[in-house]
Amino acid sequence: MTDETQLLRVEDLCVDLPTVSGLLSPVRSVSLSVARNETLAIVGESGSGKSLTATAILGLLPRSARVRSRAIELDGTDLTRLGARALRRLRGDRIAMIFQDPMTALDPCYRVGDQMVEILRQHRRISRKDAMERARGMLAQVGIPAPETRLRQFPHQLSGGLRQRVVIAMALLCEPDLIIADEPTTALDVTIQAQILSLLKSLQERTGFGLILITHDFGVVAGMADRIAVMYGGEVVETGPCDELLEAPLHPYTEGLLQALPSLRVGDGPLGLIPGVVPRQVGPRLACGFVDRCPYAETECSEHPVQMREQGFARATRCILPSDRPRDDRTVWHRQMGEDK
Amino acid sequence: MIEFLRLRGVCRDYNVGGVLSGNQTLQALRGIDLEIHKGETLGLVGESGSGKSTLAKIILGNEPPSAGQVLVGGAPLETRGRKERARLIQPVFQDPYSSLNPRMSISAIIAAPLEVQGYDTGKVRREKVREMAAMVGLPEHLLAAYPVQLSGGQRQRVAIARGLIVEPEMLICDEPTSALDASVQAQILNLLARLKSEMGLTMLLISHDLGVVRHLSDRVAVLYLGRIVEAGAAEQLLGSPRHPYTETLVGAALPARAGTKLPPPGPNAELPSPLAPPPGCAFHPRCSKADRTDCRERVPEPTVQDGNLVCCHHPNPSDLVARAVQPRTTFQFTEQ
Amino acid sequence: MLIRARRHHSLVIGSVMLAMVILMALLSPLIAPYDPALQDLENRFSPPFWSEGGSTEHILGTDNLGRDILSRIMWGSQTSLIIGLLTVVMSGVIGSALGIAAGYFGGRLDMIVTFLVTVRLSLPVVLVALVVVAVLGNSLSLMIAAIGLLLWDRFAIVSRSVTRQLATREYIIAARCFGSSSARVLIRELLPNLYGPLLVVASLEMANAVLLEASLSFLGLGVQPPQVSWGLMVAEAKSQLLFRPWVLAIPSVALIWLVLSINLVGDALRDITTPEGRA
Repeated sequence: MTDETQLLRVEDLCVDLPTVSGLLSPVRSVSLSVARNETLAIVGESGSGKSLTATAILGLLPRSARVRSRAIELDGTDLTRLGARALRRLRGDRIAMIFQDPMTALDPCYRVGDQMVEILRQHRRISRKDAMERARGMLAQVGIPAPETRLRQFPHQLSGGLRQRVVIAMALLCEPDLIIADEPTTALDVTIQAQILSLLKSLQERTGFGLILITHDFGVVAGMADRIAVMYGGEVVETGPCDELLEAPLHPYTEGLLQALPSLRVGDGPLGLIPGVVPRQVGPRLACGFVDRCPYAETECSEHPVQMREQGFARATRCILPSDRPRDDRTVWHRQMGEDK
Repeated sequence: MIEFLRLRGVCRDYNVGGVLSGNQTLQALRGIDLEIHKGETLGLVGESGSGKSTLAKIILGNEPPSAGQVLVGGAPLETRGRKERARLIQPVFQDPYSSLNPRMSISAIIAAPLEVQGYDTGKVRREKVREMAAMVGLPEHLLAAYPVQLSGGQRQRVAIARGLIVEPEMLICDEPTSALDASVQAQILNLLARLKSEMGLTMLLISHDLGVVRHLSDRVAVLYLGRIVEAGAAEQLLGSPRHPYTETLVGAALPARAGTKLPPPGPNAELPSPLAPPPGCAFHPRCSKADRTDCRERVPEPTVQDGNLVCCHHPNPSDLVARAVQPRTTFQFTEQ
Repeated sequence: MLIRARRHHSLVIGSVMLAMVILMALLSPLIAPYDPALQDLENRFSPPFWSEGGSTEHILGTDNLGRDILSRIMWGSQTSLIIGLLTVVMSGVIGSALGIAAGYFGGRLDMIVTFLVTVRLSLPVVLVALVVVAVLGNSLSLMIAAIGLLLWDRFAIVSRSVTRQLATREYIIAARCFGSSSARVLIRELLPNLYGPLLVVASLEMANAVLLEASLSFLGLGVQPPQVSWGLMVAEAKSQLLFRPWVLAIPSVALIWLVLSINLVGDALRDITTPEGRA
């Protein structure tokens, strides 16, 4: 894949937060890329740094945070070189973000229509009347019945699913090239989640935007993603095409995580466990980030930090073990009880 | 099978609405008939507005039903005293961050139910607390700590320890792992499974996650807008659901496997509010089958077949023969 | 938390200031140079030692009856502190009890308590205290009772709102489920979580009480001679504002010092106790 086809290219993104107990590094050297019409899923548990990565790309972190990167490029434009005003113009126009909680993403004091019109008029020269008409059209496109009524309503008058549709509509108003969705369906009921995901997918097919989907739910990933990046402890530990990665994960963390999921179809028996807890992110890495919890760990793993290495076509992993190492499907992940420190 | 908990026609209404919107009645539960036998785990599945939290509150005795009866061990719940009820049913809640008193030490939190029961000396209590901590996998040095120092998974273990220390007959787990990461969730689920079998617990597991329900439950009941729309043996109900809502739920549970497809979008309708339930069958606006008048007009009555219940005018055919599944328990229902 | 406490400037400064006053009150019988009621009519209005005409015999000078101001300040601190502490304890107990009950049980009890609070808030405190003292006489204990029965409103409001928030927390529900009586829930589970906010209210109300007593004494309806109160000192000196300012200024500064120290400590306590976890 040449650079020209990449819509977004992030290379070596690091976020450091100075705290009373030292320098915290919640994001350490993250590299990823998304193309147009492609969905990249960033999966990880809490503390993996996935949400911070997204906020860092958009330049929305507080000033106390130190963001370094070799490149953050949108269609070739280096975002780190843009001033604050240029970055503001970009947000909402070419990159849009969908947040997790629709209740807090919308301003409760203003009507839905007014909020949408405000976005349009910030990025385009358009009259209020035309803006309202476009907003109405967008609400219809996201499947909201009777959009004229909804435009005049306040957010609290809408259900959770409707609110998230409104948020998606707002994200699409200026026809962005890239959408970053941070846990867009976590706060919704499971049947509504299915609707919203289908909506996102069909909109992507129609408009061709690139989608970065941040989630902790592997089921959502399986249904939506073209490519996956698994994050652990502030680093990307594995990347690859969706189906391939799910079928044969290369990194032990991915393997362990997939083992731990209770499935609707597989039989009974205890779930696989990853013992231990996520380590604190203070100070530089001296070894593989996962070595304390990895059942395949060897001596070399604790000697030096591990870089991402390519394994075959479009796959990479941050693990030095060979990809054809012997794997026990479940027994290696079974412990009586996880050790919580 | 000995029956432990039985709900008959339980309804719960709330009066909502203020000066501006007028007095409205929210029917959270509309006639629930339920049975749980000793040693069995019933999974209760429902989304927002289904009434599952209300049901939990009623079974715990924290709220009275507006109509109907709750029988525990044969006797109505109201006739049992506070302390007696505590020995019968205990809860484990969803949020590990608000289910423990931040100003009490872990050992005090776990010992508190014993203190209230009042028949152990301090020494016996301390010993029981230590045993319980070991049983749930809590390292002993954490007993002197405070909740703020513990992780989410550890806190949930404390909540489980507190629930089990009086050795109740039944445990009600209300979304016990929803607030936890996947790896921690697995630990807690394994723990619950082990304790269930070691202590012979009866359990009511409330969850929206079908995978969790499948992992722990013997039987499953599906709630929609305050009514049970389907109930039966877990494997059978989740494997070949008869009610269209159950089918939708199963379709929406995305497996973390290669080749997973999103379910086809059904009729575009939102979750109805319990304040304004659709007439007739409450699910009909979202049901791909329902364009027949009976769905729109009449509330379906429950039909029982081989111990499985479904409330639908046009349920999917059951394929018991094809699956040859042995339900682990029988499921009695009285006709309404 | 203690680490944060040490770094918090307001707390350090305020505590030191307050400690000085407390020490002064405790040790006044031992270290006051003179009997505060002792009149020395030959040395009336002698200025503080740093002014012209002052001497080290009376470091802060003397008042209209020749009484040593320093000694009167020292003894007066006792009055302010005693009244401050006792009234706060009294109003704290009354207000918290009402607020917790209202917040936990709700319903009619809540309506009654809210009504009482509204009534109390619409009363002008100084006026009511005046009337009470004027009608029933002004012994110290009566004044403490009057102020204590008037300053409970903020305790009630704060404890009610915090209790309402906490009552829906799952650990409270769990306590009901394992068989706790309402009394046990309130005392063992709820109350420990209220100490933080209530302590903050207590410190602020103490400042109020001190000022209220000073006002009453200033109006002649508080402490009576030969007892010493800073408010009384200000009252007796009010005619001397232009000619012998120190007689008025010194007790005023003492009052400002005490109230400021209490407010600094209270502010700091609020900052320290609020963001700690989720209480």
